[in-house]
Amino acid sequence: MTNRRNFLKTSSAWGAAAALGPSLYTAPAAAASEIEVGVLFSLSGGLSMVEKSLADATLMAMDEINAAGGVNGMMIKPILEDGASDPKTYNEKASKLVIRDRVPTVFGSYTSASRKAVLPVFEKRNNMYFYPTYYEGYECSKNVVYTGAVPNQQLSNFIPWIFKNLNKKKFFIVGSNYVYPREMAKVCKILIEQNGGETVGDEYLELGHSEWGAMVSKIKNSGCDVVLSNVVGASVISFYREFKNQGLTHDKLPICATVTSELEVSAMGAEFAVGSYASYPYFQAIDTDANNAFIERYRKYVNDPAAVTHHALESSYFQVFLWKQAVEKAGEATPNAIREGIKGQVFDAPNGRVTIDPDNLHAYLTPRICQYKPDGQGTIVDEYPEPIQPLPYSAYGETSDNMFCKEGGLDTSKL
Amino acid sequence: MDKTESKFAQKLDWSVYILFFIVVLGLPLLTDDVFWLNRISKYLVYGMLGLAIALSWGYAGILNLGQGLFFGLGAYMFAMSLKLKSYTSLQQGSAEPVPDFMVWNAEPGTPTELCCIVPGSWLWIPFQSQTFGMFMSILLPVFIAFIVASAIFRLRVSGVYVAIITLALVLLVRLLIIDAQPLTNGFNGLTDLGWLTLKGFEFDPYMVATYYLVAISCCIVMLLTRWLVSTRAGLILQSTRDDPNRSRYLGYDVASYQIFFFVVSAAIAGFSGMLYVIAAEFASPTFLDITFSISMVVWAAVGGRSSLIGAVIGALLINSIEAAVSESEIFKEAWKLIIGVIFILVVLLLPRGIAGVARDFAGWLESKSLKAKNSED
Amino acid sequence: MSNIFFIGLSLSSILLLIALGLSITYGAMGVINMAHGELVMIGAYTAVLSGIYLNLNLFFALPLAFLVSAAVGLLMERIIIRRLYGRIIDTLLATWGVAILLQQLIRLEFGLTFFGINIKGLGPGLQKMEVPLFLSENFDVLGVTVQPYRSFIILLTIGLALLTWYIMYRTSIGTQVRAIMRNPQMAAACGIDVKKVSAWTFAYGSGLAGVAGVLLAGFKAVVPTMGSSVVVDGFLVVVVGGVGSLLGTLLSAVVLGQINGFFAILTNDIVARAIVFGVVILIILLRPNGLFGFKSR
Repeated sequence: MTNRRNFLKTSSAWGAAAALGPSLYTAPAAAASEIEVGVLFSLSGGLSMVEKSLADATLMAMDEINAAGGVNGMMIKPILEDGASDPKTYNEKASKLVIRDRVPTVFGSYTSASRKAVLPVFEKRNNMYFYPTYYEGYECSKNVVYTGAVPNQQLSNFIPWIFKNLNKKKFFIVGSNYVYPREMAKVCKILIEQNGGETVGDEYLELGHSEWGAMVSKIKNSGCDVVLSNVVGASVISFYREFKNQGLTHDKLPICATVTSELEVSAMGAEFAVGSYASYPYFQAIDTDANNAFIERYRKYVNDPAAVTHHALESSYFQVFLWKQAVEKAGEATPNAIREGIKGQVFDAPNGRVTIDPDNLHAYLTPRICQYKPDGQGTIVDEYPEPIQPLPYSAYGETSDNMFCKEGGLDTSKL
Repeated sequence: MDKTESKFAQKLDWSVYILFFIVVLGLPLLTDDVFWLNRISKYLVYGMLGLAIALSWGYAGILNLGQGLFFGLGAYMFAMSLKLKSYTSLQQGSAEPVPDFMVWNAEPGTPTELCCIVPGSWLWIPFQSQTFGMFMSILLPVFIAFIVASAIFRLRVSGVYVAIITLALVLLVRLLIIDAQPLTNGFNGLTDLGWLTLKGFEFDPYMVATYYLVAISCCIVMLLTRWLVSTRAGLILQSTRDDPNRSRYLGYDVASYQIFFFVVSAAIAGFSGMLYVIAAEFASPTFLDITFSISMVVWAAVGGRSSLIGAVIGALLINSIEAAVSESEIFKEAWKLIIGVIFILVVLLLPRGIAGVARDFAGWLESKSLKAKNSED
Repeated sequence: MSNIFFIGLSLSSILLLIALGLSITYGAMGVINMAHGELVMIGAYTAVLSGIYLNLNLFFALPLAFLVSAAVGLLMERIIIRRLYGRIIDTLLATWGVAILLQQLIRLEFGLTFFGINIKGLGPGLQKMEVPLFLSENFDVLGVTVQPYRSFIILLTIGLALLTWYIMYRTSIGTQVRAIMRNPQMAAACGIDVKKVSAWTFAYGSGLAGVAGVLLAGFKAVVPTMGSSVVVDGFLVVVVGGVGSLLGTLLSAVVLGQINGFFAILTNDIVARAIVFGVVILIILLRPNGLFGFKSR
């Protein structure tokens, strides 16, 4: 009798332990001729619309590098993880890639929320994160290489241009409710004041929120003459649609956006964005051989002749090449070596020549402004003659001669 | 399980508990993989959440669809303390710690001081003490649970309406947390936290000591809850679940029992929130998503809503399989589908969950062995 | 001021659209259908797919979505819900499982993703539905700017509410449904085929969800998860209005929508929603049977 009872208990207990057991115990170590890297983007959830394209561009770059012989002869083996549009999941996956898979670098993140969520992992474990998306600045980490625009490359050109060329002075700032739009708004307010304008509104809606009736109504009644949009993701679509549905037009009350790229325009239907403006260092409309060839290759890679390219996508692409050059220069693929190797790296990207600043690990980019046309593409209406230095603390007084973020870290006394 | 069950069943129950403790506490001896141990400690926290649901649902008949509220509050309270202990908080250009997100939410030109950098930031001042954070992570959920439960049960609201109120409540608080971005960092959640420090020892989440902290806490909570339901109060509670009117006629103050156990359940959830933050280094409004709160109910249902240890095992099982399967993207989506189907089947066919199946099987075994014994005579 | 009222009305109509179907299934059947939001989502996807493959526009998508969602609802009822009558909490849980199921089916494109096949219009990404041009252009009436699409939603919702009222109170099958609502055993004893009527009622409620989905697709992004956010709102409207009372659902939708709209303009949408939740909690606490409900089942 006791035997049967014990049998039941023991077997069920071991069954439980087996289910808990590390079933995929340790990932097999990479072959000697491979380098494993992490690729971390949202492949599901509300932001997958954008982030999947970033993952595709990253993987495409890796394929191209492998086809050309790899990194110092070694093939890149990407480990793709899904951040699920949730900062908490991003943190878990980043921990997995860094602590369990022990990759020397991870390429990832679109939203600043996800970047902030994974930052502690890379800083505490001394690993490297290559972040391709434009962001709000105010960050200085020696564990991150930032290849997207910072406000002095996205707003410092945009706001003065709006004053001068569109003759608008009363701004209504609207954004999604998380760190990027909030900090961008702060920078906008500083720039607006410096240029002698007025901020009549500073409002936020939850990320993914799609009911814009009340907000657009507020915009109408605020007396503004230009809308500065830091709205992100699927909300952009509902916003622009509601804007038009309530009778507003971009020639009288233009939306000037920092997060409305070709991708969002194609998802919402180009007719809603016609006449509105956006500021990025890269536009699909850049008419150079390098860019056109890049667009072709991307379309072939994702098997969609109508696919659009956009700034974060282009950065996702070229940052892998910069990483490759860093590894080759350093001779090994470890976080410290990659950090040393990336400083000052130069690459001819589809948007122009990109250099990584050795002090703050950000990218030199060429600010551009476009106006959207009925075909979903932008006409570039303003372009700097050459790339400018990235200054993540520009709104707080940082200049090229007085840099806050240096190799030794952030100089907090200057804040 | 109540005292009227057979001695056999009680012995079985205790044996399962002991075996569970042995497995859980012995795991670090089987492996060096701290990443995996950290994951298991998160699942143990989920187990405690399942247990809290089983306590209020299985024993008290109160279906709490918003348990994430108390979990989230507990998590945030402790995360606030840990946030102020982080390195970045001291890097904002001020002598006292100031969370980084407050700086980027502040109006340009405001001095960087914890009392006044954003409206309401003075609420953070007492959290500079880690002990305060620990107390609050249990006290705040208890306080709110008490108020809510008093309102609900004194007004004799029952059944599905209780569930709907808890649902609306968790959604409400989630919105408030997300909206108060300058105060709570909104949608981004509280990240970049310091580590729990006890007597100078720092608990790195990826360290065996942290696993033991969580595992031992979980075992203690399980034992205490088990003891609680076997007391007279626990029995009366079950009678209020089975027939509240009859209990009232017999003279018991049903509402008091319901309030008490609802509050205990919330305290467990709050405490698990604190443990989760220690293991995950993160507190986020996603803790208050209804999907997460309802998942807790799913774990308890699959494991066995009237069995405390069943609920814990249910949570562990489901999350482990999900983790194992989510290595592959396609299987992860398929797994969610499978979970949906399993859940439907459990509700339709196995209302007492795995624990129910195990008890039935054990009962069948016992009756067979009794028959064999009798036929020998 | 009229703007605020109109926005509130628009929000109310969307709430009512969702709540109408729920009111029927919950009130008539005593079933808490957590998959109602997914039925809305299915309606939206029907509109997207019929737009892509059959080139049907909004107006044809409406009845099509009604049929598709009704069919899915009928299937749900036959297979699962039928076994759970009387077990209200269990229906909540089981239908939640169905909700997950339906979401995943769309996300995995009915399993075809496993084979690497992608159907345009399905999958985890965003879809959109085209709104006919004459509905998206604003026009002026007596100096007031009219938003045609939102007005269309309001009118259609009123129409559906009237239709539902007519069916429930002026037809014999409606009388049977109401009899079942009050006392199913008595109704069965009077010769009403409870099983069949219940099934068709559930199908009707589900069909209404499908119609709501089509209308929502006109201004919301169509994603597999779009249903989860609407089902809770719908439930709160039904519970506040009173289980089993159509009028209660209507009034509660109007009231909650106006509160939402008012506070959205005053503060922001997030706080407004939080306030609505707070109001709902208060109402349930003080009047658990809702504003117009009656004790039944």
